Amino acid sequence: MSALITVFKKELRDMFRDRRTVMISLVVGTLLGPVLMFGMIKLMANRVSTQMEKPLSLPVAGAENAPNLIAWLKGQNIIIKPAPKDIDAAIADQSEDVVMRISPEYGKQWRKSLPAEIELIHDSTRQDADIPVERVENLLENYSKTVGTLRLLARGVSPTAMQSLQIAHRDLATPQSRAGQVLSFLPYLLILTAFLGGAYLIIDVTAGERERQSLEPLLATPASRTAIMSGKILAACAFGMMSLIISLMAFKICFLFSTGLGVKVELLMSTILLLLIVLIPILLVGACLLTLIAASVKSVKEAQSYMSVLMMLPLLPTIILMVNPVKNQIWMFAVPFLSQNQMILKLVRGENISNMEWGVYLSAGLGLAAILWTIAARLYHREKLAISA
Amino acid sequence: MIEVQDLHKSFKTKTGMVHAVQGVSFTAHDGEITGLLGPNGAGKTTTLRMLYTLMNPDKGNVKVDGFDSIKEAENVRRRLGVLPDARGVYKRLTARENIEYFGELHGMTPREIADRTHALSDALGMDDVLDRQSEGFSQGQRTKTAIARALIHDPKNVILDEPTNGLDVMTTRGLREFLKQLKAEGRCVIFSSHIMQEVAALCDRIVIISKGRVMAQGTADELREQFGEQNLEDAFVKAIGTEEGLHA
Repeated sequence: MSALITVFKKELRDMFRDRRTVMISLVVGTLLGPVLMFGMIKLMANRVSTQMEKPLSLPVAGAENAPNLIAWLKGQNIIIKPAPKDIDAAIADQSEDVVMRISPEYGKQWRKSLPAEIELIHDSTRQDADIPVERVENLLENYSKTVGTLRLLARGVSPTAMQSLQIAHRDLATPQSRAGQVLSFLPYLLILTAFLGGAYLIIDVTAGERERQSLEPLLATPASRTAIMSGKILAACAFGMMSLIISLMAFKICFLFSTGLGVKVELLMSTILLLLIVLIPILLVGACLLTLIAASVKSVKEAQSYMSVLMMLPLLPTIILMVNPVKNQIWMFAVPFLSQNQMILKLVRGENISNMEWGVYLSAGLGLAAILWTIAARLYHREKLAISA
Repeated sequence: MIEVQDLHKSFKTKTGMVHAVQGVSFTAHDGEITGLLGPNGAGKTTTLRMLYTLMNPDKGNVKVDGFDSIKEAENVRRRLGVLPDARGVYKRLTARENIEYFGELHGMTPREIADRTHALSDALGMDDVLDRQSEGFSQGQRTKTAIARALIHDPKNVILDEPTNGLDVMTTRGLREFLKQLKAEGRCVIFSSHIMQEVAALCDRIVIISKGRVMAQGTADELREQFGEQNLEDAFVKAIGTEEGLHA
């Protein structure tokens, strides 16, 4: 046990002497996520507010066919301008988001109370055009309804006859769960930090130490190999924990600044504490898995080549849930990465986590870590471990 | 005291099995320096690795002060001070911190560590570098640090794998004096070398190893007598049967 603590302290001291690496992995690496997220929230808010409120200029072909409609639109914060000659080309080269064309038959159809033809031309694959198209559509819908109602009234029919159903929405989303939508990639960032935050350190203390030829003397001391390995794993976990705390604090601060942007998210200290508890199993799994890899490969380079694959792992549940959203089920709390994803979302959305879910989650996560630890300890006892040449 | 009996060790390589050590036996006594002499690739390092329990022999056994290297590996490691072939030091720690780390792994108190560090630093002449970060140490300074940390726990038995490798003349001389001091303190010292003159100058007993086998062993006089040569170098050549590995 004392050997474990000795190794633990030495590895952290050794690590923190390497200031530049620590700065990059602890500060830059962990702050990148929160800053990125803040930037995205801000950009989204900007886009929505400018596109929703500022006057929309709408090119119209055949405006002279529907002077009343045009006059009404002008009253609705729309600036009407003549349509470009080649409408399709203007949409294709993105010089216009949406173009309206009023058919020459409009007047005739209107007077006969037939549906008058209006064409909206746009490219539905362009996200940026979504908001203008929706705005124009809503306005036209309104206009059509108003006129329709007036026509029914003129014929002595109650406008409610048109409505066979009345649909009312009662949205049960809590402020937190609404914010949860914005936060859908928070789990990935946190899981990745926990899983691979100490990767540099953990590869360095096994594969790197062997390459620098100091593992052989270390193993010639009376300290047991298991104690040495565990000390190294714990040092990496402590480092990962520090990255997580910095990262969560940064998220907290970044959410404080984004309240004015239509997204109200709050990370309470109690939530942060629970998030850290949720992330402990994945921290251990990551450290044990990387130790296992570092002990079985020949060099640091070979160990690092596994990193790109490992970085994809935490993404899998996010991708699967995106394509195939499923309801929370108890088995999910036993699947690595998926379970972290579910737990973090629940915490951030302010939902209750049952004791059963906690139990399954912690035992599955810690169980996996224990299995990986056992395998890594076995590899640590191989003769080949210490010999670099 | 270290007793080695009929050690065997083979490795799997891409080209097949390599029988690196094939029946090495010798005994190293307390208060003596025992030299393992042999050309590069003779199996010296593998033999030593089995002595300090890094590897398990396929056959045969090692006893250190009566403790078996397989069954009582931890006790064996406690009684050994080892300078392995790999002697990397932690670059971001000072020489003193490097030494302290190993002292703590041996379960020593800070007080004991400080006293021993002081004594070893005196004996090895490394006071000037003790509190410097070992990044940028010369080969000699690194070796001294590695020796000091290997001997921090005041071991009765000392194993050094080619300790003078890559050292300049002055440092080598200093190191020889240090080994003689260890011997005078009554320790059992084993060191390996491919340099005949060094072994001849230092060792009480010489074990000549080649191709994984002990070709001859005894004091310098006994070896000269055994091979009927006046010159130890000639005796060595006769013993290993070729002239390879003779360059000092």
